[in-house]
Amino acid sequence: MQSETLIQSLLEQTRQIINQAEKLKSYDLTVLTWKENEFSWSMLECLEHLNLYGNFYLPQMENRINNSTAKSDLEFKPGMLGNYFAKSMLPKDKLNKMKTFKDKNPLNANLPKTVIDAFIDQQIKLLELLNQSRNVSLNKVKIPTSISRLIQLKLGDTFRFIINHNIRHLKQIERIEQAMKNA
Amino acid sequence: MKAIIELSDREITLERNAFLKVKGSIDTNLYFIESGSLRIFVLDDYEEQTIRFGYKENLIVSLDSFLTGKPSDLFIQAIKKTVLKVITKQQVHRFLEEESNRVLWTKLLENLVLQQMEREVDILTNSPKERYERVLKRSPQLFQEIPSRHIANYLRMSPETLSRLKKS
Repeated sequence: MQSETLIQSLLEQTRQIINQAEKLKSYDLTVLTWKENEFSWSMLECLEHLNLYGNFYLPQMENRINNSTAKSDLEFKPGMLGNYFAKSMLPKDKLNKMKTFKDKNPLNANLPKTVIDAFIDQQIKLLELLNQSRNVSLNKVKIPTSISRLIQLKLGDTFRFIINHNIRHLKQIERIEQAMKNA
Repeated sequence: MKAIIELSDREITLERNAFLKVKGSIDTNLYFIESGSLRIFVLDDYEEQTIRFGYKENLIVSLDSFLTGKPSDLFIQAIKKTVLKVITKQQVHRFLEEESNRVLWTKLLENLVLQQMEREVDILTNSPKERYERVLKRSPQLFQEIPSRHIANYLRMSPETLSRLKKS
């Protein structure tokens, strides 16, 4: 796929993600912290989980983009592993449950509403990084994953992975909202 | 203006604070504001700087993207719930095939150039009081439609300064 086409679609997805998060700001804290049972996440816990990932990836990406000398390429070719990771993040119609790494699990943390602001700030940062990434290679710049520093993904795949992961948990937030209405 | 609005065959609704456009995206549409209000801003070192407003019965556009078809740094955000009529660049192009429409379009663009010049003078005016008075005189309705904190940002002054000027 063309690099610019990818960047445009990621920007558009991020725009929709921000708009969904903006909507949550108008909700009461009781709604935002409601959970179906003690093992499931509240809306704020979903966002905090995404924030934990953002805290890890965004600074890494910024660093690698700023220090890269690899010029931008017209075409982006997803890597084998990167493509798999990115695609596996997308929610399916039937719930495909995943295991959460312990250090990324916010369950039952006492979360304030400012989690939403932090999430939106991260999305604005992500927009900035997407813009900066036009000047570097989405193929050659590599980002270490949170699983292991030895496993690195192409910058383009890391963007896809993070944004699909955001989409996944915003879908989860929609489901929580539905479950709450039915409860 | 009516002829241009009638080109639209699609309407979108934005919730309060929702983004119509974010930095880096390409948006070649022209929008007519049915109801609500929006602001155009840029991020300068994570500081928002509002550069333009739109409220009901205005047109709003990311003009750089519209003209060049390239990515633009502008953000466009709804200040309150907003309903927009979308007019695509293709629809504008088809419209401009007619000679008489081109006269109309030129008028619209000329008007925009004049507005931009006014704005340029605003920005280069040193005195906050004078900046405020220029905008108040030119667009009194702005102060009915747009919350003060956004107008203060547009005028490059603190909300407190604006509030003081309004009282004096």
